Amino acid sequence: MIKIKNLTKSYRTPKGRHYVFKNLNIELPENKSIALIGRNGAGKSTLLRMIGGIDRPDKGEIITNKTISWPVGLSGGFQGSLTGRENVKFVARLYAKKNDLNDKIKFVEDFAELGKYFDMPIKTYSSGMRSRLGFGLSMAFKFDYYLVDEVTAVGDARFKNKCAELFNEKKLESNFLMVSHSLASLGQYCSAAILIKKDNIVEYFDDIDEAISEYKENESL
Amino acid sequence: MPFQAISKLIICFASYPHAPSALVAKARGGSVSENIRVITLMARSGLEVQQAAVKALFLREIKTRFGKYRLGYLWAIMEPAAHLLILLAVFGFIMHRTMPDISFPVFLLNGIIPYFIFSNIATRSIGAIEANQGLFNYRPVKPIDTIISRVILEVVIYILVYVVLMTSVGLLGEQFSLVNIITLSMTWALLVIFSFGIGLIFMVVGNAFPETEKFLPIIIKPLYFVSCIMFPLHAIPKDYWSYLLWNPIVHVVELSRESVVAGYITEGVSLNYLAIVSLTILFLGLSLYRIREEAMLTS
Repeated sequence: MIKIKNLTKSYRTPKGRHYVFKNLNIELPENKSIALIGRNGAGKSTLLRMIGGIDRPDKGEIITNKTISWPVGLSGGFQGSLTGRENVKFVARLYAKKNDLNDKIKFVEDFAELGKYFDMPIKTYSSGMRSRLGFGLSMAFKFDYYLVDEVTAVGDARFKNKCAELFNEKKLESNFLMVSHSLASLGQYCSAAILIKKDNIVEYFDDIDEAISEYKENESL
Repeated sequence: MPFQAISKLIICFASYPHAPSALVAKARGGSVSENIRVITLMARSGLEVQQAAVKALFLREIKTRFGKYRLGYLWAIMEPAAHLLILLAVFGFIMHRTMPDISFPVFLLNGIIPYFIFSNIATRSIGAIEANQGLFNYRPVKPIDTIISRVILEVVIYILVYVVLMTSVGLLGEQFSLVNIITLSMTWALLVIFSFGIGLIFMVVGNAFPETEKFLPIIIKPLYFVSCIMFPLHAIPKDYWSYLLWNPIVHVVELSRESVVAGYITEGVSLNYLAIVSLTILFLGLSLYRIREEAMLTS
């Protein structure tokens, strides 16, 4: 369960404060993958980042007893002059017990299929290789919730299939909190949805199809 | 190992931000503050998480800085050692500087190494939040951990450099003896605490007012000239001591020299003063950090 209580989040802009959320109260039920739906700039990613504990609200609290991942596929934490292996090792040291370290590295090495590049500095990687490493790294650890922000399109066709397979496998014991502009892929992985509408109105739908149809209606698609 | 003891000590002091299921009080801009509950990952205690984070950051840092070279980590020591050897050569052998009561290389090493520890930690802390922004995506990493790992790295490097260079000049016939190793360790431990406190303060201030990044380093630089690094305190007329002795680095430098050379006596410096200043700064740094931690992680 993730409970959001009286959450307010704003950004300072040259034209005064911009409120993304005002006194938001929402409870996300257990064992459900949830899609975040809304137009660009509605605050989907901000909400996702706050749930993940990466960004902080101005006011209010997010209460949970679940483990939550960093945004899946994130490559902002990579150090360009270190090799893929060293970057993976760094994250594994943060999240894994000492004896699991090698297993985690092995998993990422096998999954990302970078070959020799796994031992090359990350700054030599192509963007596809980078996101493969990032994706593999996120999948190496078990979390109750995985935060997914627009990564369903990683790498080439074959790698995409591999990711989808892994996602389905993960779905058996974990949940996703997902942001994507592809409504189809949201429907594939999530059963419930949060719809972020105009004027900071946020609504929870137990059935994702309802949310999608209301979203389409609002946006007059 | 003194290093482990020191790092444990620092970690003890700093452990509160990670307290398990901690209620982290949050205040932003003095406005309404409420609580955010942070549940620790993977059922580890706060201290375990922090130790893992500091260790990971430490290894990452050392690898980033020295991993790409042949001879690798040896450069961690060789780089500052070479820097110091050049200074020694310039001042000692070319300018023939000598001191009546202390060998010049010993004099210089005991001044410049503590200063480097302080200034490296202080200058690098100013931009710490911005430089490590990507790492805060990983929840176990807290801003304070980046400072702690930096402090440990600098201290380990410079203590090794100190030992290597002091042994070298000793073998070359310079006179010194470890007359008071307890004072020496205490002095350096306080230096570490002082630098850590200043590092925290600079990190918070540098994050709250990004403009400070421009002038804080300019303030640190002149400290080089007023910290008794190139001259002993007793070379200064006593009338001016009261000004110089405000600077805790002067106390560190002169106490270090006193502890390794029997005949070198400095009036005016005091371990008590150093202790009071260091602990006050540490307290101030931790308090500021405590108040601003949430805000530093808020975008």
